[in-house]
Amino acid sequence: MAGKSGRSISATPENTLKKTIFSWEGVLVILFIAVNIFCMTISDVYNLKNVLREMPKYLAEIFLLLPMAFILVLGEIDISVGSIVCLSATVSCMVCNKGIPFICVILVGILVGTACGMVNGAILTKFDELPPMIVTLATQIIFRGIAEIALGSGGSVSLSNADGFRAIAGRVGIVPYIFFLVIIFAVIAAVILGKTTFGRRVYAMGTNRLTAYYSGVHVKKIRFLIYTVMGALAGICALFMVSSSYGANTTTGSGFEMDAIAMAVFGGISSTGGKGNLAGGIISAFIIVCLRIGLGQVNMNPQLILLILGVLLICAVALPNVIAEIKNARKVASRK
Amino acid sequence: MSEYILELKGITKIFPGVKALNNVQFQLKPGEVHALMGENGAGKSTFIKVITGVHKAEEGEMFLNGQKVDFKGPRDAQAAGIAAVYQHPTSYPHLTVAENIFMGHEIIKNHMIQWKAMNTEANKLLKELNADFDATAEMGALSVAQQQMVEIAKALSTNAKIIILDEPTAALTKSESEELYRIVDKLKAEGVSIIFISHRFEDMYRLASRITVFRDSQYIGTYDVDGITNADLIKAMVGREISDLFPKPEVKLGKEMLRVEGLSRTGYFKDVSFSVRAGEIVGLTGLVGAGRTEVVESICGITTPDSGKVYLEGQEMHIKQPSEAMEKGIILLPEDRQKEGLIMSWGLGRNVTLPTISKYAKNGFNDEKTERELSKNLLEEVDTKAVDIFQPASSLSGGNQQKVVVAKALSQEMKVVIMDEPTKGVDVGAKAEIYAIMGDLAQKGYAIILISSEMPEILGMSDRIIVMCNGRKTGELSREEATQEKILELAMEKGQSGKGAK
Amino acid sequence: MEKKSIMKKITGSREALLLVVLILLCAAVSLRSPSFLSVQSIMEMLKNNAVTMIMSLGMLCVMLVGGIDISIMSTLAFAGMSVGMLLKYGHVSSTLLCFLIAMGIGIICGFLVGLVISRAAVPPIIATMGFMYIYRALAYLVGNSEWAGADALGSFKDFALGSILGLNNVIWVTIICYVIFFFFMKWTRTGRKIYAVGSNPSAAEVSGINVKNIKLLVYSIMGFLGGLGGALAVSIYASAQPNMQYGKEMDVIAACVIGGVSMSGGRGTVIGALLGSLILSVIAKALPIIGFESIYQNTIKGVIILVVVVVNVVMQRASDKNNLKGREM
Repeated sequence: MAGKSGRSISATPENTLKKTIFSWEGVLVILFIAVNIFCMTISDVYNLKNVLREMPKYLAEIFLLLPMAFILVLGEIDISVGSIVCLSATVSCMVCNKGIPFICVILVGILVGTACGMVNGAILTKFDELPPMIVTLATQIIFRGIAEIALGSGGSVSLSNADGFRAIAGRVGIVPYIFFLVIIFAVIAAVILGKTTFGRRVYAMGTNRLTAYYSGVHVKKIRFLIYTVMGALAGICALFMVSSSYGANTTTGSGFEMDAIAMAVFGGISSTGGKGNLAGGIISAFIIVCLRIGLGQVNMNPQLILLILGVLLICAVALPNVIAEIKNARKVASRK
Repeated sequence: MSEYILELKGITKIFPGVKALNNVQFQLKPGEVHALMGENGAGKSTFIKVITGVHKAEEGEMFLNGQKVDFKGPRDAQAAGIAAVYQHPTSYPHLTVAENIFMGHEIIKNHMIQWKAMNTEANKLLKELNADFDATAEMGALSVAQQQMVEIAKALSTNAKIIILDEPTAALTKSESEELYRIVDKLKAEGVSIIFISHRFEDMYRLASRITVFRDSQYIGTYDVDGITNADLIKAMVGREISDLFPKPEVKLGKEMLRVEGLSRTGYFKDVSFSVRAGEIVGLTGLVGAGRTEVVESICGITTPDSGKVYLEGQEMHIKQPSEAMEKGIILLPEDRQKEGLIMSWGLGRNVTLPTISKYAKNGFNDEKTERELSKNLLEEVDTKAVDIFQPASSLSGGNQQKVVVAKALSQEMKVVIMDEPTKGVDVGAKAEIYAIMGDLAQKGYAIILISSEMPEILGMSDRIIVMCNGRKTGELSREEATQEKILELAMEKGQSGKGAK
Repeated sequence: MEKKSIMKKITGSREALLLVVLILLCAAVSLRSPSFLSVQSIMEMLKNNAVTMIMSLGMLCVMLVGGIDISIMSTLAFAGMSVGMLLKYGHVSSTLLCFLIAMGIGIICGFLVGLVISRAAVPPIIATMGFMYIYRALAYLVGNSEWAGADALGSFKDFALGSILGLNNVIWVTIICYVIFFFFMKWTRTGRKIYAVGSNPSAAEVSGINVKNIKLLVYSIMGFLGGLGGALAVSIYASAQPNMQYGKEMDVIAACVIGGVSMSGGRGTVIGALLGSLILSVIAKALPIIGFESIYQNTIKGVIILVVVVVNVVMQRASDKNNLKGREM
């Protein structure tokens, strides 16, 4: 071949230990420890047992974070998930009250979510000119709207027989089932995104969709799949929501999409696509969960907690940009 | 007063990693049409952007009417009477023609935009240019030729004394080009000085009185049109005799690999048929917008043709997306490296292996070690100038980026390789290397389709040349019978009749 | 040639199409319920939807530059609650002052949003999501778990009851806003710059428009209208609660989308925003009349948005294909 100049190109990766520590994930781990120390100092009851006891109601949102990370890496957004949770919770409560076997209730919950996700995916792949933002905005209104219709004028449904849901809210020792499930799902999702060909292709699509398409990536199939899985996991999230509140109403899951996006973005997953990994997302999710529990224990105004989260979210995205800009400006100045 | 209306001395412009302009000079006389020529990537467009204040040169001086000037931004250049019509119209597609013309210097009275006055004024300008559309038309609905006219009207509306036309005829049919020549003549008669960038010798002979040639970011020389022969000019642009540049090996042609029959896609191309044999390089040429890229995109499943058949080794294929084409052994190396060919922020290795990751993945898990080995070997095979396989594609020069794109094709067993403008924006040295790779591929028995607008490249590398015009195949020439004139004739003639489709 | 272009203007104009839809809609509903078209009922409808209608003007500007703002109803609540609390504790009593305060708060809120988006390059959806939390939380914190009822608001609530020349004050405010914006967007340089930035940001940069400042401006405008909306909402509903208008930003976005404002920027008009929000209001009012319970409202609204955007795409594809067929070869 042409390569006769005998130039050789190195293929040995750099030692990445230093990189790991100074990466955003490294910062997040330190932040996680700091948050826990902070919570312990402000609250006397902040210990492992209490944290695990209060965790389930926050953990359910991590089910949404996982597929949301994939969608954000694609450079897209799904703001309909909160409504999918609502619809799925509503329907599973209703079928549960009909007295069918609990395993079927679980299936129904997941299926409803999957169906909603498929609707999003189908519209987005069929009409790929449409921005995901506007499509999921519309389906957000529709899915919650359907739940509202199903719930009728009362606007809520409660379980007449909560045995099944009580069972999935159970624990091994002090650790709730959901904790194990979240960890398993998180590991699977992180491995898929980080280590498999599928994950690589998702990153390729998020960084440069055209190049990915020209390089033979099944762009449509992957998008459809991810939105569908988003729906399915929203279904699982809904089941755990029901298991902690024994019912559903028109506001179930409202704002969850924002929480999931905030966790992911705070974890370093860029909303413009192609950047970040799930390790960061999951650590940041636990930071937020611990912070909420700790601040909740000292009876901090829940609105104040939201305010802090909002500031954190904006700073997490804005600070790197601002720093880069300042560096750039300095470079230009020094050149002159 | 100086002899020159515009003079630039010792201009150097550096982009990260590349010296886009190296100590170049330029003089423009009042009222002349001055052609600026050079190959793609010679630095012409960058030079224009320095004149118009879009880029700031690191070194060098610029004199306007003998006065030293220093433009802080495009506004300053505009105020000084310099206007540019860029290759890609920089218009606002959602706004009307009148607004596009007057953006930035609207007609204002009492802080209110005077739409009526603006529309009449714009129509006046358009009429001078013989435009067939109204000032209230939406910009996005116009053809490229019409948009270009708007850009020229915009330049006129600022009372520009110097107008720069950057490849204005590249996307025009012959009759549209004639119209443009007429406009340029008229401007010249009114005393406007014009800098004209073009690849087409015809444009130059028709319009320019002097020519300045750039090559590899450097100034080569300024000549009078009457005092230089075609061959000398090409030599000045390319820097060597054409035969040295194209190491076309003699290859014994094998069996037919790809055959296309009556391929059509509404609005893009119609009834295109041709075939390629193993070891053969088929050149596909024509003007920009002739439908060359669209044809090969349909072959590779990026778009779906409306009718027609594609055969690979005698088997009819129904390809719906690029991945299927690759499985069958056809790969397209797209024209736009940055948008379609590479993921610029990714390392070289990952770029090379993107099309084939699943081939050596184990149960869906990436095998990073094999991947690294493979990409290293392939990148060395195409002789990429890189330090390691982890550096981002954006850190390479255009030529080396193209080599990475070629390496992508080599990472899998291919039968047909389609290269769309593989040497666009590549310096001469790297060009020769890419031609050498192309020759090697042909020798190995690949069937190659080469799309190019560059005449020397097409003439130098192809066994056979297919010429397209306005979506139709207008001719096929063998290596022996092909000449620049014949190709140009085929590439342009049918467009003006307007009835070619019948 | 001439004829064709006139025909094209009528069929191709988004606004004309919307107007036809609006008229048909009104006609259909009034067949069912003649009282629908009575002056009183229309006035009632306009008053109740004034906030959405005014906010769609701001959203129009934001969407024109290719952005989005989902923090607006939080800004509204923050401004509204601030005014409500000031009135409740008697710090202010002048209605005019209340409006000024609310608008001032709104501008500051919007300015901050714009600063983060234009200067720190945070994607609009992320930035405004953050501010949605922040401003809503501020609304709660200002209230300190209290809210202001009708009796606490004193004369302020009379603003929404009073009228000039037989037209309710709130409707007057809406009309004034629309007139100002109609002129601003069409006849001023700044207005056209907003279009230019949305249509082709890099070209705008080259022609010397300060893209960052234009972005800052549109979010400040949005904030200003949010503040104004806050004061109006407090007056109209005679109460200031921290959760007021929760989730209604979707209505505003929906009105713009129906009105033909493009999500990717550059396309959209004041008339379109007006017609979009009117259509949405008529539908909301008509549903109970034609026998749908109000719980169907959201679903139908969502379906309409979806249908509108999908039909847009289908029509665009068809027209592209048509254009291609016309190309000579």
